[in-house]
Amino acid sequence: MRGGVPAAVGPAGNLTAMAELRPIDELTAALRTEAYLADRGLATVMSLSLALEKPLLLEGEAGVGKTEAAKALAAITGARLIRLQCYEGIDVAHALYDWNHARQLLYIRTIEAGEHLDAGQALHDVFGRDFLERRPLLDAIESADPVAPVLLIDEIDRSDDEFEAFLLELLSDFQVTIPEIGTIRAERRPRVILTSNRTRELHDALKRRCLYHWIGHPELDREIEIVRARVPGVPERLAAEAAAFVGRLRAMDLAKLPGVAETIDWTQALVALGQEELEAGVVDATLGSVLKHHEDIERVRDAGLRELVARARET
Amino acid sequence: MSPTATAGDAVVRKLVTFGRILREAGLEVGPGRLQDALRSLDLVDLQSRDEVYHALRCTLVSRRDDIDAFDMAFAAFWERAPSTAPDQPVDLGLQATTQPPTRAPSAAPAKEDGRPSEEESPPVLVASSRDEVLRRKDFADMTASELRRVRRLIAALPAAEPMRRSHRLRPGRAGDVLDPRRTLRAAIHTEGVPLRLAYRRRKLVPRKLIFLCDVSGSMEPYARAMIMFLEAAARAGRHVEAFAFGTRLSRLTPQLRDVDPVRSLRLAGAAMPDWGGGTRIGESLKAYNEQYGRRGMTRGAVAVVVSDGWERGDLGLLDVELARLHRQAHRLVWVNPLKGHTGFEPLAGGMRIALRHADVFVEGHNLAALEALAEVLSAL
Repeated sequence: MRGGVPAAVGPAGNLTAMAELRPIDELTAALRTEAYLADRGLATVMSLSLALEKPLLLEGEAGVGKTEAAKALAAITGARLIRLQCYEGIDVAHALYDWNHARQLLYIRTIEAGEHLDAGQALHDVFGRDFLERRPLLDAIESADPVAPVLLIDEIDRSDDEFEAFLLELLSDFQVTIPEIGTIRAERRPRVILTSNRTRELHDALKRRCLYHWIGHPELDREIEIVRARVPGVPERLAAEAAAFVGRLRAMDLAKLPGVAETIDWTQALVALGQEELEAGVVDATLGSVLKHHEDIERVRDAGLRELVARARET
Repeated sequence: MSPTATAGDAVVRKLVTFGRILREAGLEVGPGRLQDALRSLDLVDLQSRDEVYHALRCTLVSRRDDIDAFDMAFAAFWERAPSTAPDQPVDLGLQATTQPPTRAPSAAPAKEDGRPSEEESPPVLVASSRDEVLRRKDFADMTASELRRVRRLIAALPAAEPMRRSHRLRPGRAGDVLDPRRTLRAAIHTEGVPLRLAYRRRKLVPRKLIFLCDVSGSMEPYARAMIMFLEAAARAGRHVEAFAFGTRLSRLTPQLRDVDPVRSLRLAGAAMPDWGGGTRIGESLKAYNEQYGRRGMTRGAVAVVVSDGWERGDLGLLDVELARLHRQAHRLVWVNPLKGHTGFEPLAGGMRIALRHADVFVEGHNLAALEALAEVLSAL
């Protein structure tokens, strides 16, 4: 465990003690040790989510640090991060559990070849835990870790209605029923963070179970800070100019706006190239790590790269 | 933060009032959320404006689009700021803005009842022959009461539902993918030998459907009926999104889906401050592409633009944005109510550009045309 474990991470019910300890400030400080700079809003909401034991739904443009927030939370609490990446058509067999069918078949064959065939016992064995394949959700519920794991349900908007409904049930009880085995209940509720890129509106019932937070693009000062925290050894000047340049890109009419993740990637590239400050030629050569659409790159070049760089350097 | 203990009651009362204000602004604030908000307030520093703000926001707001309304209500209620910022008109449906979207201009003795048809009384049974006449009648020639009847008929149209194959698998006798779980279960009956193979196949699900409806002056005779059509579509399922535009873009989906059909059109009307005004199709599409398309809303969807193509803005921009929309969408359908008129030539500059990009070009001037539109969409 690294950094100070915020009081908010302790068992809920200890609310007054936590209030005295100013969990929000502690959480902010702890996240900072993981090079995750949360603003007051995010820190407040994360701390509330821990204290109220409610899942946290994070929405925001791509690359603003939704997934990173979950990773940082796991790191500061010393918890295991269990990640479920959603996609269209994801179902119980992918998210919760499945049977290891190959092993089941082999086992049946082996018994058959043997002398004693106790059908009842065989059936019991075949659908026992040995043949169960745990997927992320079951993993999170069954976890025997000393600290409740952080369950990251990433890009929930990519899944479909059926899966959302299933998740809704899971998030209210934290228990699942496997017909052949029985009901499994979480001893410690995992800390749940859901992220969404808002490609579609989530169901109200699901949202009602969660605290909601929208993460926007950070202010210039904060972004500079983030870059400096994330890119070790970055010259101060370069961090400021890169952040200012990306900030200017965001004001342009682009198909895909660069997120903080892009600013960080790009600055890393610039540092690797030994840059001390922005220089039009190098910017032009590395534009592909900030902008991921051909049209966007063209558009920025047309808008006058030299001038954009010059203006970013003024700030 | 300890003084809350005694002031608790006052906080609760204030919070309940705040909840009511938010509900009026169109947010869904139930008792459960208020309870969470109250618990949250207990956990933050009440002296810190930011912490109180976020404690309330994360518990009472659940979608990005509601944040602006929340901010305004928060400023007005908790910070005693003037209820509206001078430069920002509130169009939350709090006040009955603009003139009610009603009246058919060329209609005979246009009854100046001015009341939007949403004040509709319980449905009256209408003789089907009258309905038949109504089916063929141009929306522009309808009286207010006829339009009111049309709303029911539109609601009764079969839902426009383009389908696509989902990645979700459904059990089936034959299919695309072997289902080991069911195969093995069946094998139990045959002494462990998987004799009968079970399969799963891809399921058909409704495709996303996005309507972008022109409500500018030249479209006014038709826009009312189109909004009704959009309402019926939006109620059909969560895969439908509805937008209106004139000089700016307004998302109507939440309003049109309001449980109360009397209220839904009024809310939608209030959400379109530019009703009957000028047209900037290109700019509006750009706003759509940037705010919604960029996040992936258009991907794989059927996009339907309803407009006569009278562009008063930049035609070049329309070309670019339409191309962008077309590139992301599965199909681009253009509905032009004027197309139904005899001797129609797509002369409007915007229309010529639209023809270059649209996959399907249909009319939409009367009920029969809308029926056909629903059919066309379902077949895509």
